[in-house]
Amino acid sequence: MNLGESIRVAWDSIRANMLRSILTTLGIMIGITAVIAVVAVGQGGQQSIMKEMEQFGSNLFYITMDWRRDELPTGREFTMNDIEIIKANVPELEYLLPCAQTFSTIKSRDKVKTAQVFGTEADYAHLHPLEITAGRFLNNSDCLGKRRVVVIDEELAQELFPRTSALGKRIIIDNQTMVVCGLLKAENSIFGMGTKVIYIPMRVWLDIYPGGSISYIEGGTRSPEEVKTAMQSSVKILEKRHHSKDLYQGVDMEQEIQAVNKVTGVMTLVIGIIAGFSLLVGGIGVMNIMLVSVTERTREIGLRMALGARRRDILIQFLIEAVVLCLLGGIIGMALGIGGAFLISALAKWPPLISWTTVLLAFTFSAAIGIIFGILPANQAANLDPIEALRRD
Amino acid sequence: MITMIKMEQINKIYRPQSNPVHALRDVSLHIKMGEFVAIMGPSGSGKSTLMNVMGCLDTPSSGAYHLGGVEVSSMNSDQLATIRNRKIGFVFQNYNLLPRMTALHNVELPMLYAGVEKEERKARALDCIGRVGMLDRIHHRPSELSGGQCQRIAIARALVNNPDIILADEPTGNLDSVTSLEIMNIFCSLHQENTTIVLVTHEDDIAAFARRVLHFRDGKLINDEILNPHLTEPSAVEGGGDI
Repeated sequence: MNLGESIRVAWDSIRANMLRSILTTLGIMIGITAVIAVVAVGQGGQQSIMKEMEQFGSNLFYITMDWRRDELPTGREFTMNDIEIIKANVPELEYLLPCAQTFSTIKSRDKVKTAQVFGTEADYAHLHPLEITAGRFLNNSDCLGKRRVVVIDEELAQELFPRTSALGKRIIIDNQTMVVCGLLKAENSIFGMGTKVIYIPMRVWLDIYPGGSISYIEGGTRSPEEVKTAMQSSVKILEKRHHSKDLYQGVDMEQEIQAVNKVTGVMTLVIGIIAGFSLLVGGIGVMNIMLVSVTERTREIGLRMALGARRRDILIQFLIEAVVLCLLGGIIGMALGIGGAFLISALAKWPPLISWTTVLLAFTFSAAIGIIFGILPANQAANLDPIEALRRD
Repeated sequence: MITMIKMEQINKIYRPQSNPVHALRDVSLHIKMGEFVAIMGPSGSGKSTLMNVMGCLDTPSSGAYHLGGVEVSSMNSDQLATIRNRKIGFVFQNYNLLPRMTALHNVELPMLYAGVEKEERKARALDCIGRVGMLDRIHHRPSELSGGQCQRIAIARALVNNPDIILADEPTGNLDSVTSLEIMNIFCSLHQENTTIVLVTHEDDIAAFARRVLHFRDGKLINDEILNPHLTEPSAVEGGGDI
């Protein structure tokens, strides 16, 4: 019997018990659905993060205090002097910025909001794709002259000043009056996730929050090749100035991307294990129903043998039936998974990424389950004694 | 005349170790091409075992069995499957048609295992269904056919691979006397076309359609009887084909 005929026979017998077949394959369906949906959403998310990181630029680096230490030695935080000295001594640097952040309440005349108050300097706009829609970003004289100005995003501006433009208006941040000098286009970032950020000059930030300190330093070079050198030189100067080894940590984009890949790698592994178990359970379900099918069709098997089916014809027939059953579940699962991925992504606001590899893998996997869990029933069918089988009711 | 079946000293012992049952004892018989033979005997006489051995569903414990000039008693299961497929046409008491398939597909089934191409399968199936007078029912499923009609389809199925012998095991056992007569007339017309037929039955009037009756008792062939051919005269046979 050729393959086409075998598939037709398998399909006929599956169709004859349609409800049972669908229920049997439910485990596989759910397994494949889960894998496809989660992988698509996960890969889509990873892609979005990567894109965002690439937008940040590969000529950027950060220097932070090593957070993994149990206690940070006090008195060794970054200072504005550090920034000036590094700038003067590392020729590869194009920009070097102090950054600090804290949550605060923001008040207008009649509204109160919370936002992250971000202290930095004018060059921040050169390193990050900020879109100014009105007014201007912080400039050098704001920063050096400690002007009490603030840049906020349009959405926050709209919330604080529903009726008029916020530009030039006074707002109160932690009891300090500031003037809005610029508006930013509201951003839709995975990192942001609904948190509003407002920018003020670094020196003003240090004045408003006397207990606070610069939380990290951001640097930029002219070319990506210079990042490593500039970062290492900067860390060395900090270590020398603060007399401490291994406290300051430089991170560039390459490392960040590796870190993200590591996280998504672990995620994929966990999902893979869960999917593996659900497919295992699904496979056992298929094996179970195939065993029932063999018992039910003992006479048919006997007859086929009497009419000239060899053992391997019977074996292949039942294997194909198991594979077709699993593929049925796999295909329905794939459709549901792709639908689910779009649904989840619509809620999470990033596009799903459905790769051919995933689809092909799911397809192959369902077929493989069919073969693995079909072997036992198929073998049982093939080893029936035709005389006994024909006698069975 | 060519000898289709040649059995020499066939023995079949079930459970030889623990509790041996001697189902066939030194059975030797020859059946020539075109013969119409009935096998009779009470239950437990070994006639079913003989059918299984003859039909290559089982192998003898000892002895030689030549089917159409081929020694089959020592073949493995795959070789036997091929022999069954090419050389034997089975007709069962309970028809054994596959319920999900149409009559046409049921008849095509043995050709699937013979690797016959689709077009030829259909042509040959239709030819055989025509010979049993069922061309108006080819798209019916077994559940939509009467017992006699099912048995006709089963006979057509037995014929499609052009076998050396037709083995019919109580083919009228589930049928009323009128329908039984119709089925026996089909066998008679096949006999007229020189088909070799071996029929197992315990009914004398069914056995009477054959030209030769082999009587079995306790696993032994006790009587080989040539019948007076008065019951299968050409006139009766020709009438049978049209029913």
